[in-house]
Amino acid sequence: MTAAGRTRRRSAGSTEILVAGLVVVALFGGAVRSFVVSRPDLATAATVFLGVFVQALPFLALGVVISGLIAAYISPDRLARWLPRRTGAAILTAGVGGAALPGCECGAVPVARRLFGDEAANDRRGAAALTFMLAAPAINPVVLVSTAVAFPGEPAMVGARFTASLVTAIVMGAAWSKWGRVEWITRLLPRTPHGGGSKWAVFTEAARHDFLRAASYLVLGAATAAALNVLVPPVVYEHLAGQLLLGILTMAILAVVLALCSEADAFVAASLTMLPLLPRLVFLVVGPAIDVKLFAMQAGMFGRAFALRFAPATFVVATVVATGVGLVFLGGAR
Amino acid sequence: MNRETENVLLLLTGVCTAIIVVTGTYTRYVKPSLMPWLVVTAIVLTTLAIGAIVRDIRAHRRRGDIDLDDDIDHTHRSGVVWLLVLPVVLLGFVVPPALGARAAEPPVTDTSREALTRSFPPLPAGRAPELALPEVVIRANRDSAQTLEGRLITVIGFTMKAENTTGMGPQGAGTDLGRVVMICCAADAHLARLHLGGPLAARAGAYAEETWLRVEGTVDPQPSDAAGLSVPSLMVTALTPIEAPQNPYVF
Repeated sequence: MTAAGRTRRRSAGSTEILVAGLVVVALFGGAVRSFVVSRPDLATAATVFLGVFVQALPFLALGVVISGLIAAYISPDRLARWLPRRTGAAILTAGVGGAALPGCECGAVPVARRLFGDEAANDRRGAAALTFMLAAPAINPVVLVSTAVAFPGEPAMVGARFTASLVTAIVMGAAWSKWGRVEWITRLLPRTPHGGGSKWAVFTEAARHDFLRAASYLVLGAATAAALNVLVPPVVYEHLAGQLLLGILTMAILAVVLALCSEADAFVAASLTMLPLLPRLVFLVVGPAIDVKLFAMQAGMFGRAFALRFAPATFVVATVVATGVGLVFLGGAR
Repeated sequence: MNRETENVLLLLTGVCTAIIVVTGTYTRYVKPSLMPWLVVTAIVLTTLAIGAIVRDIRAHRRRGDIDLDDDIDHTHRSGVVWLLVLPVVLLGFVVPPALGARAAEPPVTDTSREALTRSFPPLPAGRAPELALPEVVIRANRDSAQTLEGRLITVIGFTMKAENTTGMGPQGAGTDLGRVVMICCAADAHLARLHLGGPLAARAGAYAEETWLRVEGTVDPQPSDAAGLSVPSLMVTALTPIEAPQNPYVF
């Protein structure tokens, strides 16, 4: 930090503020720490916040490395050539292709943003990118295996999760190609960076930009999840989960507010044994598609106008699709 | 926020990631198995930050005193990157403690991953084999082979006031032994508990709350298919206070 601070002392402003602030925190670190520790709620919220943030960091790093590679090596023309000509086939390809990114949802957002591009005319590409974003965190092998491990006696759960998540992703991709508006995308990707030429420069600039943007909004989402974790007493969820319909809605909302990683949510769902399988399937389908941290990240990477429409729509579609698929696969409300 | 400050924050995020790995505090927030990935993350982030800083210095030398911000990604710069100060301060300076008994109990109060009773493998040999606390809870509730029956076991956990609602033990009086179970990260953590019974249990209650103990005793298993897990009672035959373990959670 000091090295960077020294390099360009002339530009007064935010760096000096940051460094001064950190020096103050370093001086009074002990006082701040004992203040946090003396308040159990605050300490719990801070630990849960860091749990979500630190857990997401490696996936985010993987995600921005991939998005950087896309920026450097995959030109829009090349991507257009790879995608099937017809929109429907392109969405389907993107959905199934989601299985190839073994990570959880935080990494998928920046990758999808790069795939989305800024060329307004091409709605086939946008729909495919959004389908990929929703499918990748839910249907990749790591997540499916952890689901199978978490529900040892219920192999149908894996198939139901795969199907419901894929259908949700495809429906949302199709919905975008039909009703999506490019004006909602208010966050544009940065132009090719200065010095423009080398692949390495393009790669690092894209990865740097995507990380800063996605990680900042991840902070917002993780803080929301931590606050809800501390403020809303668990009894509320337990009481609401009693009836089937209410249970489905409760689990869908719980998936949004808990903001769990898609590789862990199966174990949490498995442990909620007081609930039938169907609401727990809804939890597993809604969580990777939309939660508070994803909403914040979508707002940051695509734009608020986009997130305000796309996130609620995803929530409704995921809940309905999961309920329908669950009734077929799990044989009603067991 | 200007580009230079963004680079500093990016660098700090990478450095803080490295620090929590080196000091081992990352086990308070995530599973130990995430460690290699955190190392890779720290390397990626510091590389990106240093790469950007070096490139800016070179561009600066080449062009003289033109402000870099004029020509680099001016499409959208906003103050939102300041939010990254929060994890940097928490990871680097505050370092919040691991979740303990006082943590508001999260929505998942139940440690079972298997819904119904089944036959468990026998306990390890020895006079009083050490078992993870959640495993004791699951075996006591779900083990049709009743492997806990009549066996002395050793369990590690922290003391906490007994819960009123368990219906086990004398009406919420006395002391429980708790351990926080984590599946992936601190956000999905939940509490597993054993009620301490027998004449020695009063000694456990004499320690301050959240004292780590190694307890020997026996559990009377009561396997059932009922939803949810009941809190088993451990009849204490010996107990010693210990240091908090390196990994505060069980997985």
